[in-house]
Amino acid sequence: MALRARVVTDSLGKTRRLGKRLERGGEGEIFALQERPDVIVKWYYPEVLKKRGDELHRKVEAMRELRDAHMTRDVCWPLIRVFDDKHRWIGFAMYRARGVRMGFLAHALLYQRYFPGLDRRQIVDYLIRFVEIVQQLHRAGVCIGDYNLNNIFCVPSTQEVTLIDCDSYQLRMGGTFYPCPVGSPDMTPKEHQGVAFRDIVRTPRSEAFSLAIVLFKCLMLGRHPYDIVGGDDPVRNLRRGNFAYGHGQRDVPQGAWYDLWRELPEPIRDLFVTTFTAGATAPSRRATLAQWHAALTTYRQQLEAGECPRELARPSAKPDSQVLHAR
Amino acid sequence: MATYQLNSSSDLIENPSPRCACMLVLDTSASMFGQPIRELNSGVQAFISAIKEDDMAACSVELGVITAGGKVTEQLPFTTAMNISQCRHFAASGLTPLGEAMELALDRLEERTAAYRKAGVAYYQPWLVVISDGVPTDQWQAVSARARSLAQQRKMVVMPVGVEEADLEALSAFSTRPAKRLDGLKFREFFLWLSASMSRVSASASTTEQVRLPPTDSWDSI
Repeated sequence: MALRARVVTDSLGKTRRLGKRLERGGEGEIFALQERPDVIVKWYYPEVLKKRGDELHRKVEAMRELRDAHMTRDVCWPLIRVFDDKHRWIGFAMYRARGVRMGFLAHALLYQRYFPGLDRRQIVDYLIRFVEIVQQLHRAGVCIGDYNLNNIFCVPSTQEVTLIDCDSYQLRMGGTFYPCPVGSPDMTPKEHQGVAFRDIVRTPRSEAFSLAIVLFKCLMLGRHPYDIVGGDDPVRNLRRGNFAYGHGQRDVPQGAWYDLWRELPEPIRDLFVTTFTAGATAPSRRATLAQWHAALTTYRQQLEAGECPRELARPSAKPDSQVLHAR
Repeated sequence: MATYQLNSSSDLIENPSPRCACMLVLDTSASMFGQPIRELNSGVQAFISAIKEDDMAACSVELGVITAGGKVTEQLPFTTAMNISQCRHFAASGLTPLGEAMELALDRLEERTAAYRKAGVAYYQPWLVVISDGVPTDQWQAVSARARSLAQQRKMVVMPVGVEEADLEALSAFSTRPAKRLDGLKFREFFLWLSASMSRVSASASTTEQVRLPPTDSWDSI
């Protein structure tokens, strides 16, 4: 790895020097660009390029055609093609996302360290922005497919949200379909379970299901909607629509979780219940992005007006107590 | 000397991370005396520090340690990495009751996954790492079949590692994957690889899929 030349060229042949390696992902490495701290380069691994370099190159080129000013600000979209010292295509340059992974926000123990002073208003602000960005992608015919809280960045103490790792997104360009070849079963709706990710055609309805899991995990500080006491793994529960939180407590995990749930306004709870029970098997029953946007906007106004509790649970406040309260 | 923070009973309730249980079964018999046991000890310390540096992994990885040196000792009951304050050093002595140690390890892993299910906590496939420099000196055939069958059903990842003159054939019987031989005494490299693997597992959004692990060329030998 150290032998790899850390010099790349853009399509005009202009030489650029790479800085520090920032990340080693599943498909490639992310490098800083020297003298441009706001730009990063994704360099696919040689074995990935050998196996499906042409396919990746075509997809990234199609994405570059789709770019517009809004999209490139909110999503780390491929902007510039990048070549190695032998003029072979090896990846692309994009803007660097600012902020902290949403996985650290959706975590009852970690949010206090990464998002000091976080309250429900701020969570709802991030979620409204997130829904808006996904709506913008959908209008351009793009689906996220692989929903993952580690690919959503939030800037603490602001409302700023940026999505990363977008070269996996599903899109159609000029009659060609580019699938999203990755994903995880815990975030995938029932109709797509057990199918190879690259053979799936994501739809607004399948996206709405995965998006609802992201919203749930944030509002519930890290719980997955289908983790259940005495139950099976989340994927089996997902396939059965076995959602514990419904109206009245059934098999909710012990602790502050039911209190967190009860403090959500009823319209929000209703959208979750419908999406995760009837909607698990019937895609048409899932709340749409427009419905989520409207419900979250109303919730935001209620929080602002002091009609709903803003504070979040502090699960470690009383270490000796088994009984925890959300406020 | 023993300064583990007790496993707080509320941990499974307050921490929403899916768990990855990792049980280390370590041969601390007399043949490990000297340099090997020193390297093993410092490798375990490096493992714990590396996991704790990654906040996601520190909330997700639960470590347990059982040693087989003269007798079987449960050195650390399953504890979430973020709650481990310090790790005791193991001394080398006696024979290698590895069969009994593995039996205890499998029992503890089953109890722990049952506790996860009861508390509604999702979990990744647990890991069982067994490191030995010799041959088990007690009965091990029955427990090796039990471990291999769990690995076959993909209920557990069993990773046998042989040191120096270890009997790789006996160690391989515990798993569906062949035992790897540690290059010299590269315990530190092995444990850094293990922590990188644990970080990758705990960063995965999926509790049911296999995760691609980093290459093992920093510590294994052919």
